[in-house]
Amino acid sequence: MEQQVRQVMADILGVEPDSIDVSTAKDSTAAWDSLNHINLVVALEQEFQTSFDVSEIESMLTFSDILETLERKLQR
Amino acid sequence: MASNPNTLSATRRDFVTALQAGDGSRAMQLCRVLLAEDSRLPQLSFIVRETGKIPRGKLGLRNLKIALLSSFSIEFIKLPLTVLCFLNGMDAEIYLPGFGQFQQEIRNQNSGLYTFKPDVVVLSVEGTDWLPEIYTSYLDRLSGGFDHVVSSFHEELASLIESFREGSKAILLVNNFVPPVWRQLGILDGQAEMGQAQLVHKMNELLSSICRKNPGVMVVDYAGLVLRFGALRWYDERMGHYAKAPISADMLLPLAGEYVKYFRAVIGQTKKCLVLDLDNTLWGGVLGEDGPAGIQLDSVYPGSAYLAFQREILNLHKRGILLAIASKNNMADVEEVFIQNTNMLLKKEHFASLQIHWGHKSESLQQIARQLNIGLEHLVFVDDNPAECAEVLRALPMVTTVTLPQQPEHFVRSLLEDGLFDGLIFSQEDRQRGDLYRQRAEAEVLRERSGSLEDFYRSLEMVMTFAPMDRTSLARSAQLTQKTNQFNLTTIRFSESDLAERSTDPDWLLTTVNVRDRYGDNGIVGFMMARFDSEALDIETFLLSCRVIGRTVETAMLAFLCQQASRRGIQLLRGRVVPTAKNAPSRDLFLKHAFQKAEGKESGETVWTFDLSKGSVDWPAWINVITGEPAISKQ
Repeated sequence: MEQQVRQVMADILGVEPDSIDVSTAKDSTAAWDSLNHINLVVALEQEFQTSFDVSEIESMLTFSDILETLERKLQR
Repeated sequence: MASNPNTLSATRRDFVTALQAGDGSRAMQLCRVLLAEDSRLPQLSFIVRETGKIPRGKLGLRNLKIALLSSFSIEFIKLPLTVLCFLNGMDAEIYLPGFGQFQQEIRNQNSGLYTFKPDVVVLSVEGTDWLPEIYTSYLDRLSGGFDHVVSSFHEELASLIESFREGSKAILLVNNFVPPVWRQLGILDGQAEMGQAQLVHKMNELLSSICRKNPGVMVVDYAGLVLRFGALRWYDERMGHYAKAPISADMLLPLAGEYVKYFRAVIGQTKKCLVLDLDNTLWGGVLGEDGPAGIQLDSVYPGSAYLAFQREILNLHKRGILLAIASKNNMADVEEVFIQNTNMLLKKEHFASLQIHWGHKSESLQQIARQLNIGLEHLVFVDDNPAECAEVLRALPMVTTVTLPQQPEHFVRSLLEDGLFDGLIFSQEDRQRGDLYRQRAEAEVLRERSGSLEDFYRSLEMVMTFAPMDRTSLARSAQLTQKTNQFNLTTIRFSESDLAERSTDPDWLLTTVNVRDRYGDNGIVGFMMARFDSEALDIETFLLSCRVIGRTVETAMLAFLCQQASRRGIQLLRGRVVPTAKNAPSRDLFLKHAFQKAEGKESGETVWTFDLSKGSVDWPAWINVITGEPAISKQ
């Protein structure tokens, strides 16, 4: 799953998949603006065939946030 | 930031290579493959990023300046729109003003909209935003009536267009309105005198008539588009509230596709001529094998599906699109169909050009373009065989090809969904065009890229399996001798028991030929029978299904026979050709492979020999050959 998330983020944000780590965050990544945040959310929904509610969308602001949220969602 | 090639798929890698080499047509073809593999957001993002790295002008794209004006967050359509423009040879330059500013942008002559100097302006406003009286506050307005709503919308739109025209000559595309998903009167809405649905229809009629009066202003049937997909699927309430982006992410590509149909017409890229294959395209079955009465074209499935397809093609003809045929068949057989088969909706006179011969389809298309005096980029080629479409794409990248899906009931959708033939005007001349076609003024010679034929064969990734006929392949082998007419040297028919008997004779070589290619397994498509005598290997039966003609499969078959002869110490290969009305494609087989003509009889039959001490027939380098394994029969 982590590899899939990396690839999605790499494509949406235009960064190398290997450069994504726990420190990768919306605040510190130039390409990760509000427009791309929505794109990222949508892309993850398409990739994992799931749907995030608004509180989840607002809380997925770092790479680790995203992994945590997905793990919770996909376990259910 | 350069993309790490190790993480890229093969298609992505080829795409980047084509872009960097400045090969626009190849990049566009690969983009189509990428979208077929995955059309989700990350892929779109990748495509836009990579094409964005190439300097403008290097790929030979047509620049198109597009302004997007909306009452909601339409920027999410940028990615799909850019990709689809690229796919259609356009380099999209997109202008997006601030949120909800469409009125101001149009009315203010000094706005960014006019400074941008767009070629096309898209006005995408949802009904709820432009006509709240009909959507949100409908019940409050009900008692007062809606006449003033109608008239003020009329005035507002007319003045907006007037302002727009003051500052720009661009084409203006205006979305019409979708009736509200949830009606405030519930089940009564349909019957009410001024139900919401009726009001919206009234507004849409008004919109149409205003656009009709203004040259260069066109209605986009947004309501029709949403209907096709379904409003429940089209709208995403969550994102509508959260990001003011009411349209589902999955629906952005279809929406972009709809706009691109208009863009294509604006830059004059409308397709003018539909070129069709015949077998398993206009009818079910293969004419050469089933005969004019045996093809499937009637009121029963699948014939009914093919008829429905013919009906839509006829409609295109009535719309002014030229029709042509490019088919590997005998002209006489096709003539018989037009004369004999009364189920045919399409008649010979509907076709402006008939290219019915055994040469490559790309040759046919070039002939058609010359004959009708139109550019190749105005042709659409439709065929059920992906290999044919690939051949055309390779030789003529500017032609649009449509590979038909497996089931004929889906043909109509494939033909119409991209709006390839949609134009901006429908004139009297269009109505009449089908009746006249222009002769070519002068010959235009298009040079094929050198070595392209070999590249094409190689690209097919053919794997041929030669195997002795056995119990499992017996039925198919007999069937081939009974049904194959075109590529059949001697046209002798055999029953299963004939073949079974022969297979016990050690002097007879009975070999099935299976061809697999990148598009799938074609099954057993060739069959040969040759007999060893004291001095020669005598070829009595040599046949090939039409599906694999024109790919050097027959060369490999001859090479196989040479090999078999040599292994037994035989130095001579001998074969006969018995000409029939239908086997023209195979008559020069031996001549083409440097056999010597040994005899010519009065009947027209010829005998040929090949001296193996002087050489042999070479295996085609682009075919992977497997010999000796048990036959794999699809039948």
